[in-house]
Amino acid sequence: MKKISVYTLLLAMGISAGCQKSLLNPLPASDMPDYIVFDNADRIASQLNGMYTVMKNGKFLGGKFQIANEVRGEDYNNELSNNVTLQATWKRIVGNEVQEVKEIWSQAYFTINNANLFMDGMKAKGTKVVGDSLSKIYIGEAKFVRALSYFCLQQLYARPYWDGNGAKPGMILYTQGHTERGNYNKARNTTAEVYAQILQDLNDAEAALPKTAPGTAAGTTHANWYSVIALKTRVYLYMGQYANVLTEAAKIVSATAPFVSPGGHALVADINKVYSAPYTSVESMFSLPFTGTSGDYPGTQTQLGYYFTPKSLPLQGNGEYSLLSTGIISDSSWKSTTDARRKLLTKVGSKYYMTKFAGPPPFTDWAPIIRYAEVLLNYAEAKVRVSNSVDAGAIALLNAVRQRSDATVTFAVTDFASPQALIDQILKEKHIELLGEGFRSMEVTRTGATFAARATYVAVPPTASNYIWPISSDELVYNKLCVDNQ
Amino acid sequence: MRRLLLVVASILLLASSLLAQNPRTVAGRVADETGAVLQGVTVSFPGGKTGTVTNAKGEFSLNVPAGTKQLRISMVGYETKLVAITGDNLQVTLGLDAKSISEVVVVGYGTQRKTEVTGNISSIKGGAVAEMPIQSFEAGLGGRATGVQISVPNGVVNNPPVFRIRGVNSLSLSAYPLIIIDGVPTFTGDQGATNAPLNPLASVNPADIQSIEIAKDAAATAIYGSRAANGVVFITTKKGKQGKAKFNYDGWVGWTNPTRLPKLLNAKEYIEIKNEGILNRNPSATNLYVPNTDANGNMIDTKWYDVVYRHNAFSQSHSFNASGGTENTSYYLSGGYTRQEGILRRNDFGRKNMLVNVDQKVGKILSIGTKLSYSNEESLISGSSGSLEGEAFSSGGLARLAFLTSPITPAYKNDGTYNVTSSGTISGINNSNSVGIYNPKVLLDLDHSNTESNHLQGSVYAQLKPFEWMTLRTVYGIDYMLMNNDIYRNNISGDGASPKGDAFSIYTQLKRWVWTNTMQLDKTFGDHNFNLLAGLEQQRDTRQRYGLERQFQSDNYFNNTAGGWLIDLSSGLLRRENYLVSGFSRLNYNYKEKYFLSGNIRQDQYSALAPGHKKGVFFGFSGGWEVSKEKFFEEGSLGKIFSNFKLRGSYGKVGNMSGLGDYDFMFLYHPLLYGGNNAMYFNQSGNRDLGWEQSKKTDVGINFGILKNRVNFEFAYYYNNIDGLILYLTHAPSAGLPSNIPANVGSMFNRGLEASVNATVLDKGAFSWNSSFNFTYNKNQITSLIDGITEIPMTTSGLEQTSINKVGYPVGMIYCVPAGGVDPATGRRILYNPAGEAEIYNPINGAYTYLDGKPAQSLGAKTAQPYANTNPRFLGGFENTFRYKGFELNIMLTYQAGFSVYYGSNAGLRDQRYWNNSTDVLRRWKKPGDVTDIPQLINGDNVSNGSAYAISTNVFKGDFVKLRTIGLSYNLPSQVTKLAHISGARVYAQGQNLAIWTKYPGPDPEVSSNGNNPSGQGIDRNTLANGRTVTVGVNINF
Repeated sequence: MKKISVYTLLLAMGISAGCQKSLLNPLPASDMPDYIVFDNADRIASQLNGMYTVMKNGKFLGGKFQIANEVRGEDYNNELSNNVTLQATWKRIVGNEVQEVKEIWSQAYFTINNANLFMDGMKAKGTKVVGDSLSKIYIGEAKFVRALSYFCLQQLYARPYWDGNGAKPGMILYTQGHTERGNYNKARNTTAEVYAQILQDLNDAEAALPKTAPGTAAGTTHANWYSVIALKTRVYLYMGQYANVLTEAAKIVSATAPFVSPGGHALVADINKVYSAPYTSVESMFSLPFTGTSGDYPGTQTQLGYYFTPKSLPLQGNGEYSLLSTGIISDSSWKSTTDARRKLLTKVGSKYYMTKFAGPPPFTDWAPIIRYAEVLLNYAEAKVRVSNSVDAGAIALLNAVRQRSDATVTFAVTDFASPQALIDQILKEKHIELLGEGFRSMEVTRTGATFAARATYVAVPPTASNYIWPISSDELVYNKLCVDNQ
Repeated sequence: MRRLLLVVASILLLASSLLAQNPRTVAGRVADETGAVLQGVTVSFPGGKTGTVTNAKGEFSLNVPAGTKQLRISMVGYETKLVAITGDNLQVTLGLDAKSISEVVVVGYGTQRKTEVTGNISSIKGGAVAEMPIQSFEAGLGGRATGVQISVPNGVVNNPPVFRIRGVNSLSLSAYPLIIIDGVPTFTGDQGATNAPLNPLASVNPADIQSIEIAKDAAATAIYGSRAANGVVFITTKKGKQGKAKFNYDGWVGWTNPTRLPKLLNAKEYIEIKNEGILNRNPSATNLYVPNTDANGNMIDTKWYDVVYRHNAFSQSHSFNASGGTENTSYYLSGGYTRQEGILRRNDFGRKNMLVNVDQKVGKILSIGTKLSYSNEESLISGSSGSLEGEAFSSGGLARLAFLTSPITPAYKNDGTYNVTSSGTISGINNSNSVGIYNPKVLLDLDHSNTESNHLQGSVYAQLKPFEWMTLRTVYGIDYMLMNNDIYRNNISGDGASPKGDAFSIYTQLKRWVWTNTMQLDKTFGDHNFNLLAGLEQQRDTRQRYGLERQFQSDNYFNNTAGGWLIDLSSGLLRRENYLVSGFSRLNYNYKEKYFLSGNIRQDQYSALAPGHKKGVFFGFSGGWEVSKEKFFEEGSLGKIFSNFKLRGSYGKVGNMSGLGDYDFMFLYHPLLYGGNNAMYFNQSGNRDLGWEQSKKTDVGINFGILKNRVNFEFAYYYNNIDGLILYLTHAPSAGLPSNIPANVGSMFNRGLEASVNATVLDKGAFSWNSSFNFTYNKNQITSLIDGITEIPMTTSGLEQTSINKVGYPVGMIYCVPAGGVDPATGRRILYNPAGEAEIYNPINGAYTYLDGKPAQSLGAKTAQPYANTNPRFLGGFENTFRYKGFELNIMLTYQAGFSVYYGSNAGLRDQRYWNNSTDVLRRWKKPGDVTDIPQLINGDNVSNGSAYAISTNVFKGDFVKLRTIGLSYNLPSQVTKLAHISGARVYAQGQNLAIWTKYPGPDPEVSSNGNNPSGQGIDRNTLANGRTVTVGVNINF
């Protein structure tokens, strides 16, 4: 019997060692479960940054959004005929299943959902953790991120505001975060509704955000009162509400030259400074930062430098797109010898390349999203449109931008036969100034202009179906209420 | 069927020819196939009356009553033989035949006598795969058991074969069976993480395998509960036997060659064809292809097949083992070395392995033992072969480059340097038109993508038998894979050209421990026999991976991460774990070994399922009836026909979770940086209700033998209904969800019939003929997917939509645009829109028109239709073994039928871009009235032949019969072996894949571009074909 009890004991030991409950609930090492991410201030601050990180993914504002807007215009030639590097967009023959159509759509909505989830989480828990004053700022930044994302989507996937005064289908609006599987069939809101939401977000952000000093990393990479106002000038301009542009611009642009903001934003003397380290010039109102650390630079075949910088040592881009001799570089008023902005172009053989983002792999040049120069030109254009005159104030703003790069040129009232001539010059200045920064296609559509013909590809008038992009095929397959663009 | 009738007829003839014998003493000697004598062989009279066993010299002697015509010779692990008494001194050879009916089979957590098994288990002897030129044992199982599909998906060595038991039983998770090696579940699937696949099962030297059991129904598998839905395979390695130490050496060498490669255009034909296309597009074109010449002025005509493929790829294998035992100790020690070259240059597999099995009795009631196996494996390759899952469209995929690259351009320029452009592509020398992608010669010479694995598998056990009826056992086992990836992509041509050289070193550690405690009670009360098993088990996996990537090499001299580099990056970081804790029990009962009942139950808790859903209970029960033991049967006329007759049936519920990510149910935030500052964002949507996939399996079967078990038949019907299939749901991107969400939302069934017959067709003294044939019919159908969604398309390698899972159809239907032939009037491809109307595609303007010339809607992936089934409806094997004196001839045929294959490579072989073509294009349409299957050649046309989107022109029936192996061996006579002081020796020669009978035009209908992915089977896209191997070997016993 003694033996039996020994065996029974052994058996009991085996059974009692049976189960280690904690092993049944392991926590992942590489990711954090959702129920702890609002537990302390550091994690909340990380999430705040996370919204921007999603936005600066190369599939969205880290590269492809700007590249798509650039190559839809008249300035570039596709060098490598690679479908992965936006050839279809360049040809302006874009189907629902084209990679960039799907990627930009989903990455923008991914950004919006992260902003929404962040706001939901702040409401539920985060505010208690960080306190009301910080929470207000955080939520203001989230609204800026949401507004900018919706604004960007509108430019590629919806008819411009002028078409039906916002009555045409816009984006699908969401202001609540999503985590679970479920029914996400939802129809598109109108463009007017989307713009209303964008403005509401920006107004809220304006009320919430601090006036962070420019010239700092914080003032460049996080939304603040100035960058919100700057974005508002753009939004109103795109809505054709020019009087509102004046109201907003006046908040951040001094009445007379030298034009500066109350906080000290200004044009930097050397435009190269905008595109070189540390990228935090007083002109950079909002930029998306990159570093050489894994995951902190844009992904393969999404980088601005990879597309536009030639492969010609010491430059190490991939030369996907060269500048067409028929594009804006052919403009004789953009002086080839005296304008500093010509130095941002590089000639290889017989071809010019746009080399604002000339850094080597892994392409860590920051992506400028809002520059003070743009605000000045927005302001200038609005002045002319509101006054319907060859406005001297507008010419002063135009001169500020031009003369920063080319002191040999001075525009005068007498140079312009009509207000439209001045507007055209301001638009051209914007074209030159912001070349490579992702404005061209949206400037064309906003103004109702025709995409100029180039090489073997015909012009695309505002009435054409390919004036804007179609909706992502993934959206159409999985959201039965979403209608495609016609 | 005709073959079967022949077999039966010959048996009947033989039976009637047997003659009566007078009473006397018969002696004899029993040896195995190598001539080594066998001790402990049971020699008895047919009918079960006791006989004798052989002594240490393999000899026996026994008094034979009058009228006895045969002796039954049997031993565990060997084929049972009925030997006609033809003289006073019988020489009997027992074979390790693959299909022998063994007496004991391995089941979950134990063994069972074959006669008592009521579940559906196929048993295969290790000898069946021991000497085959394969890397892992399961590649040799094709055709050997009913319900088992083995397809070798490509000729890359050490690639896991497609392994299905009774059809596809999962859509998103793994459909691979659970593999248990000596009681420890092992890792499966390609674990290599480089372009060289690494199959963990290749760590087992096939020569060390004693037996392979394949459990198919719920009764046989339910003891493995949540992991049993795809079937369970038990591998048992060899152990020592009591007796004098035995030594065995087995070695073979072999040569493999590529087969059935499509015939390509030569340089002259290429120029003619491509220029015709250019001129057809634009008659005034001037930029035509021109020949290149070598240094001697001869026209260059590069045979890229010869650059990429290896002829007479050499393989060798050497295994040595020693075994023996005393009353208390037994041991088996082995060492092996193999090195096998693939038909793709630079693709090699190497293995060094050791195995130790030791068992020791300590006193009367305690026994302990250990098993330790170590193997060092190397999977070597230069880079992408284009053949693994996800690689089909790799720019550097060598199988495609071999047929795509133009013959007019050379591997080297005339100055002896590599023929590449500054951007890393292959240059056309005198041609400005494209001639290819990368220069395959550069990739083969400079790149590598290797995995080295150190694989440890082992266990220790202690077993107590306090009473004759009670066994307590504890086993602790480990399975560790420690792997190193060494990858280099050169800076001249290929994917490494852009970062000017790219090197990776990645270390991966997969560790598993399993602790099993069981109690078994065996008790007999009168005619009632009980066997109860109860156990507890825990299993824990931890995975860890970390690596370094370095880019921008300072000098071509360096080709791994230790050299001079500019940029350092982290690579491949991963840490994961999972835990499975279980309790299980099995009760077997039989009455007079006539009526059998068995029940299994297992509760599993698994960490990778959502809280509240971690626990699952699985069960299986079965019954059997040995009808032949009934009096009415034994005494009636039936008993004269059937020597045994057994009915059995089972039902149960089992699960599947293999392949489910460890944290897939969770909602996760991922850390990343924002301009150097901490950031994190919502990165994974989970599912709070994620549970098991569940299969309800029904199985009924009949086993019977006739003519004193000389012919045995097995029939089974099964129905496997799978519920709660996990699908990763895609949502509208506007929802902003970061990932597809796993959910238990699909259902599907497999239904089928299995039949097998094993027969000793002839056994006349020196000559014998054994034959076995098996047949499986399987029907698979998806019965529901997600609310609202009835179809989920699947894209091969992220590029080409080729397959679809659709309700009402089998899994993995080919999904393509239906195509007609070539319009004789215009030379254009005819395609059909969803309404079934014929359209014509004009490659010059890209427009679609109806036959009457009116504009029609464009066609493409969006108008694809489910076109053809890819699941073999019928499969099986037919094996014949002939023995005459010392000679043995073995012929094994396998077949699969009732399925189609999408031959996507054919689209490439007829692509009218710069790609080289198969000689099929020589019969192209040229003028109105031409009737042909090749459209008019228009340069740049990638639609008419199916490159832009899949068209039905490239779908073919895959039915095949393969001469899988043919082997001839000869046992050296004992006079010879004695002279050499060895106890036995055998020489053998074998051929693998020597012939295939199929209408499939590609190299091999077994090919699969999507590996084991059930949703993408039957796709042959730019994949390396299988080779044909011939080996010769020797097996010596000391």
